[in-house]
Amino acid sequence: MAEPSTAGRSFDAEALPHLDALYRVALRLTGDPSQAEDLVQDTMLKAYRAWRQYRPGTNAKGWLLTILRNTFINDYRRRKLEPVAMDLEAVEPHALYRAVEETDPEGAFFSKIVDAKVLEAIDALAPEFREVLVLSDIEGMRYAEIAETLQVPVGTVKSRLFRARRQLQTALYAHAVEMGYIKPREG
Amino acid sequence: MPEHINCAEAEARLLDYLKRELTPEVAAEMKAHLEKCRPCFKQAVFEENFLLMLETRAGRGTCPGKLRKRILDLLRAEAERG
Repeated sequence: MAEPSTAGRSFDAEALPHLDALYRVALRLTGDPSQAEDLVQDTMLKAYRAWRQYRPGTNAKGWLLTILRNTFINDYRRRKLEPVAMDLEAVEPHALYRAVEETDPEGAFFSKIVDAKVLEAIDALAPEFREVLVLSDIEGMRYAEIAETLQVPVGTVKSRLFRARRQLQTALYAHAVEMGYIKPREG
Repeated sequence: MPEHINCAEAEARLLDYLKRELTPEVAAEMKAHLEKCRPCFKQAVFEENFLLMLETRAGRGTCPGKLRKRILDLLRAEAERG
């Protein structure tokens, strides 16, 4: 095999460490392991071919996730008859904390929920909410980077995140109540 | 320092504060509010635990070995093609 080029070596060093994150995000976006595999593979090939456009030492993870997300939107997301009848601007009125502040103020019930259920609750969020939550709160991207990736204003990222977190908390709480991890609030 | 933030505003900005996404000025006001306001401080602990839970529970999946190998093989082939 030929000696890897300098470009090949820097790609290996900067891009390959993010395979786990790419696969996690692909799995959440597609909801399907075999599609997630194809998406990661397509993303890595595109990234390799476009590697000249990456500025060394900048945020490789964000750069790769942007390619992954664009590839997903363009090639994977089944063209549904949008839009879903859902008001993206409405706000859940109450923080979940209000329901647990007497019984479990530190949220100990979260730790009783198994990983698979946490992932299931994330997957049940609307796509617009799921993607910001995954990029921000699981993969640690900054709001500004997410805004750039999704081509939306930072304010939109913020408001979607706000709602995504509230919906997720509500879903996890409902599951915890159902499983008896926490007593529902009286009344 | 004058009181700029009330409890409702603190709650609305709490997660952004914990994610260190507020401007330094607003973050300082949040910090001052949380130091004084016990209920908001307790809610901050709850929200922090929520964020921590998400990061750890949903952030530890790994790329399957066979996919990793398939990608490495593809990249090598791509490199040799030049």
